[in-house]
Amino acid sequence: MSPNAPRSIDDYLQQLRAALAGQDPALIQDALYDAEEYLRAEVAAHPDKSEADVLELISSTYGAPEEVAAAYRDTEAKVKAALKTPAPRTLGEPSGLRRFFGVFMDVRAYTSLFYMLLTLATGIFYFVFVVTCIALSAGFAILIIGIPFFLAFIGIARVISLGEGRLLEATTGERMPRRPVHPGPPAGWLTRIGDMLKDVRTWTTLLYLLVMLPLGIIYFIVAATGLGIGVRCALSPLIVLGRDFAILPPGVSLGMIQFGHHAIASPHTLLGSLLSMAFGIVILAAVLHVARWTARAHARFAKALLVETR
Amino acid sequence: MDDSQARKFQKDLNAGLVALVLLAILERTAEDLYGYEIAKRLQKANEGEALFKEGTIYPVLRSLAAAGLLTSRVVPSYAGPPRRYYRITDEGRVTLRDWSDIWRQTRTFVDRFIEGSSA
Repeated sequence: MSPNAPRSIDDYLQQLRAALAGQDPALIQDALYDAEEYLRAEVAAHPDKSEADVLELISSTYGAPEEVAAAYRDTEAKVKAALKTPAPRTLGEPSGLRRFFGVFMDVRAYTSLFYMLLTLATGIFYFVFVVTCIALSAGFAILIIGIPFFLAFIGIARVISLGEGRLLEATTGERMPRRPVHPGPPAGWLTRIGDMLKDVRTWTTLLYLLVMLPLGIIYFIVAATGLGIGVRCALSPLIVLGRDFAILPPGVSLGMIQFGHHAIASPHTLLGSLLSMAFGIVILAAVLHVARWTARAHARFAKALLVETR
Repeated sequence: MDDSQARKFQKDLNAGLVALVLLAILERTAEDLYGYEIAKRLQKANEGEALFKEGTIYPVLRSLAAAGLLTSRVVPSYAGPPRRYYRITDEGRVTLRDWSDIWRQTRTFVDRFIEGSSA
């Protein structure tokens, strides 16, 4: 047995964390969760032995921290390779133009755009949830139900942040935790509430949920405006042709952007509408680029606030 | 052959086999199982020398779930931390049948040489 073999569950988790240093924080959270579940179950299954005695045998059953860390690294690399959407294949170095319009072939760009539109709804929901629960917690604080209410509130906020992480991973591909943070050994309510209040993660999670409202409004406006202008411009030949062949009823507005009675850039000829279509396609590509970039930046922001890195 | 070489060979072999064994265990049980329970069943079936460390099955369980071969749910436990229970999906059963066939073919093929060399 090596001299620095872990003597307690906390020891073991610390060594596992050290062995996984440099890995994705989400992967570390998952690995620590699994290990803690196993170790606590193992200790509970041997009530006649001390924690140190159980830990002494752990390296031959569960595996030493380095072995377990290696297993996670290997599996993660394989799963990542298998689940990753293959990058759009380009021959040689793609030209600037090709890189710009290549965004139309990128699934992530569309899912990112969808995420931007969705943030208005989720942002409102998170904001209302946090504000309501903080107000109720403050109100209930003098009552006997104050403490369980606050615990339930923080618990639900953590589940929501896990769900938000899964949504972000699905739309942007940024690795987020697949497990919640382990609640640790069972303890009394007062200790748990104290731990929650001391945990900086609790506060950054609440902050994230609040900030999602203004961010969601901005994301939604950018995405919806860009989409609206892009689609409208790209479809203008259809409208001009529709008018010329009398498919559309007379009186359908050709105005693209109207301020009072002044219509700007409304094409009346086929040539004009074709130019407008080209403009619309460029706008749509730009919107997809913006969406991809925003979602990526947002995922990093979410990770900084939601995922534990001790 | 020294010990570390033997361990490395065992590890390479386990890469795919652990997933096959986990699918087989979950296919045979009527109820859902959680990680620790599965680990203990493996330990019991495998008296004496452990072929793989129990800690290595957790990441495999997660990757099988991510691939849609297993589903999982978290159940709070009063005795300790919440547990994640796993159940095999229909897709998992199909995969298990395919993999079992591959395993049987591989075993027959390898045995043909091993038996031949020892005879």
